Amino acid sequence: MSEQYRQLSPSEFFYRNREVAGFSNPTRAVYQAVRELVENALDATEMHGILPDIKLELREEGDGSLTLAIEDNGIGIPSSEVPNVFGRVFYGSKYVLRQSRGVFGLGVKMVVLYAQMTTGRPVKVRTATARSKFVYEYEVMIDVEKNIPVIKSLKISRNDSKWHGTRVELSMRGNWVQAKKRVEEYVRRTALIAPYARISLEAPDLVLRFERSVEKLPPAPKVGRPHPKGVDIEMLRMMVERSKRSTPLVEFLVENFDGVGPVTARKFCEWAGLNPEMKLRDLKVSDLELLALKMQEFSGWRRPKASTLSPLGEELLAEGVRAVLNPEFVTAVSRAPSSYGGHPFVVEVALAYGGAIPPAERPLVLRFANRIPLLYDEGVDVSVKVVTEKIDWRTYKVEFPAPLAVVTHVCSTKVPFKGVGKEAVADVPEIESEIEAGVRECARRLRLHLSRLERLLEAKRWRVTVGKYVEDVSRALSYITNYDEEQLRSRLVELIRSRSSRGGR
Amino acid sequence: MAVAAPDRQRYEALRAIEEVARQLVAQIARGEGPYLEVPVRTLANIIWDPQSKLLKLGPRKLRRDFLDAGEARKFMQTVLMMSLLARAIREGDYPTIRDLYYAGKHTIEYTDEYGRARKEETWDVQKESDSVIQDIEVLTGFLREQMGILHDTKGKIVGRLTIRSGADVIDCSRMGDGAYSIPPNPDALEVLEVDAEYVLVIEKDAIFNRLNKERFWEKHRCLIVTGKGQPDRSTRRMVRRLWEELGLPVYVLTDADPYGFYIYSVYRSGSITLGYESERLATTGARFLGLTITDIYDYKIPRNFIIKAKDRDLKRAKELLNYPWFRSSKEWVKQLQLFLEKQEKVEIEALSGYGFKFLTERYIPEKLSTGAWIE
Repeated sequence: MSEQYRQLSPSEFFYRNREVAGFSNPTRAVYQAVRELVENALDATEMHGILPDIKLELREEGDGSLTLAIEDNGIGIPSSEVPNVFGRVFYGSKYVLRQSRGVFGLGVKMVVLYAQMTTGRPVKVRTATARSKFVYEYEVMIDVEKNIPVIKSLKISRNDSKWHGTRVELSMRGNWVQAKKRVEEYVRRTALIAPYARISLEAPDLVLRFERSVEKLPPAPKVGRPHPKGVDIEMLRMMVERSKRSTPLVEFLVENFDGVGPVTARKFCEWAGLNPEMKLRDLKVSDLELLALKMQEFSGWRRPKASTLSPLGEELLAEGVRAVLNPEFVTAVSRAPSSYGGHPFVVEVALAYGGAIPPAERPLVLRFANRIPLLYDEGVDVSVKVVTEKIDWRTYKVEFPAPLAVVTHVCSTKVPFKGVGKEAVADVPEIESEIEAGVRECARRLRLHLSRLERLLEAKRWRVTVGKYVEDVSRALSYITNYDEEQLRSRLVELIRSRSSRGGR
Repeated sequence: MAVAAPDRQRYEALRAIEEVARQLVAQIARGEGPYLEVPVRTLANIIWDPQSKLLKLGPRKLRRDFLDAGEARKFMQTVLMMSLLARAIREGDYPTIRDLYYAGKHTIEYTDEYGRARKEETWDVQKESDSVIQDIEVLTGFLREQMGILHDTKGKIVGRLTIRSGADVIDCSRMGDGAYSIPPNPDALEVLEVDAEYVLVIEKDAIFNRLNKERFWEKHRCLIVTGKGQPDRSTRRMVRRLWEELGLPVYVLTDADPYGFYIYSVYRSGSITLGYESERLATTGARFLGLTITDIYDYKIPRNFIIKAKDRDLKRAKELLNYPWFRSSKEWVKQLQLFLEKQEKVEIEALSGYGFKFLTERYIPEKLSTGAWIE
């Protein structure tokens, strides 16, 4: 497949199909460019144990173009790789399975392509790897027809400050005024899901600065093998091709798939009616089809390992929500790993109430997939379906309009996106039920919190109701009995105080 | 000495109020939430005592706890009113219940549970202050008349009766076309002389005026009284004294409908709302002279004078049938059942169909001489 595209120039292919990648109009293009660059910056840092420090700048130039610059403190790009990373569209993905924001580098090349197409200017890249003695500054363009990078200039300087990271700057056509709200929302939500990052944005009429609220990164995901249930024919064919042709089927299964031991492999072969000792070279195309089908159908596989996933964890998620939404109450749940169709996934849910959240007729739903904020296509997302259709919030003492925000985070080696925009998660039953369980667990905690508030308010109301009469009661009783008025008053006040500290009546 | 007695009563009432307040202060001093135990003044706690033929207050009491959010306001109002009553007695004032309402009304300013500044009146309407006065009456066992609290009165009396009120001597037979207005506290009146054989209590003021104009009381040697509909306490107390102290039989004349019947029962047995003072106010020997439902047919009242009973009349009649003080009387059950059956009522004035003097010259004398009353 890739061979064919290489001959047709993948650059050209993407260039012609830019709307698929999210560059359909000048507004969407700005948002998409910011998104790709921020996600790259986060991957270059947090995946490598570095607390991210990301600076984003946007400028409107006199000629109507938009300059976009992003700088991170990540691992940097080895100098020799820079032209290819930014100037050649190719399949950078290997068959490794782990949760990452995207297939490495593909998106950023779309940004470069779009920029070059709309302004004709090269992308400027400044980078240094850790402990690099030099800082490299490139200006790169893509030769679209040949799909090769063209280096316009290269400057090398001494890295005296021991800086490492990458700064990318490019010029593009884009509608900043229209895109502003989305970009702001995107950065805000990114800060929510990455509370360990320092993120700043300077743009016309918009300055955002999110300080790091925790100094702790979530554990990085491990590289894993695919689960047999999640296999398709194409994938299987490539794996067979990569293996030695004399390998017996049972050995092939054990070596290439997640959680498959010799015992399971033999059990499977027996169940599928395949000879476990059959050499790969003897597999016919029809056998391959059968194998893929049977692997999907077999129910004896172990559940996929979740070690390839990197959920944020309850503590970090709650902290992110607290820092960005500034609510009165926040709670988070990280569900146990689960799987659908051979793909492991973890659902995380946070619920925030009150404080700076404005009351609304519906809960505010903030969706994330693999730590990427999902902003578009809210109406068809499974989280929105669960939050607005499946949950009766009155059960949890929430009366709308309410200052309620629900945060959902789906982590998976394969998030089942709906449509090409990758902005909405499809309603896969397994994921839907995990989201529902997570929301309900959070909602139960919210109900406890609201009940406590109710009791406190009730006690306060009681103190007010009774307390407002202390004056008149002590004056009247003092007049009738000649007992000291002040003493009566202080005794009554004390009585009310001690009674309400026992929880009122 | 007639003046000294009520004054002594006032001071006894004051001491009772002080005693209640002292108990509250003692509770507070002990660190307890102060509370009052107020006898319940609703139908549920009204007991018909067939022996004494009185409506009495039952044993049920309501604990009015200051620390109970639902009772705190009433508690405050009660002690506030107690202090107003104490002040009136100590300072020798005789306020009306309306005076007390104004004297105690002021604005309480406070901050509510949401931190907002709020205001509240000690009482919004006189009904509230009147209600706590009644509570204090049952709490202390002293009626407001005994405390020297005045109220609007509507009772009138005429006849050969001479009384002393304060420093004045009043001859109730020398009122012209008017009548002596029964004062708020009839206990302060001293009866000097009486020349009458019975007391005729008339529901309606207009009929009372007509009988007075005809000098009925002179011709028939009686006293006539009206409470203008539902009688107030002083009218009832006055009738009671005439019956009890002077030994005069009392006859009641009302319309032939359930409301008239209930008015009679209030004179005789007491009312539900004031059940606690029946023993002082009720005239248990009062007789119902008329008009009865059977009178409608016995006296052949012309059909065009008969009024069709309304739904609320029927409802009221059914209620009366459930009151033990009606239910225990065969004659009343008969009258009420006849009413429910015929669904007809008449006013006293219907007798004028036989001439204006029919009531005074025929109906009343005939009823009295034949003993055709209900007891």
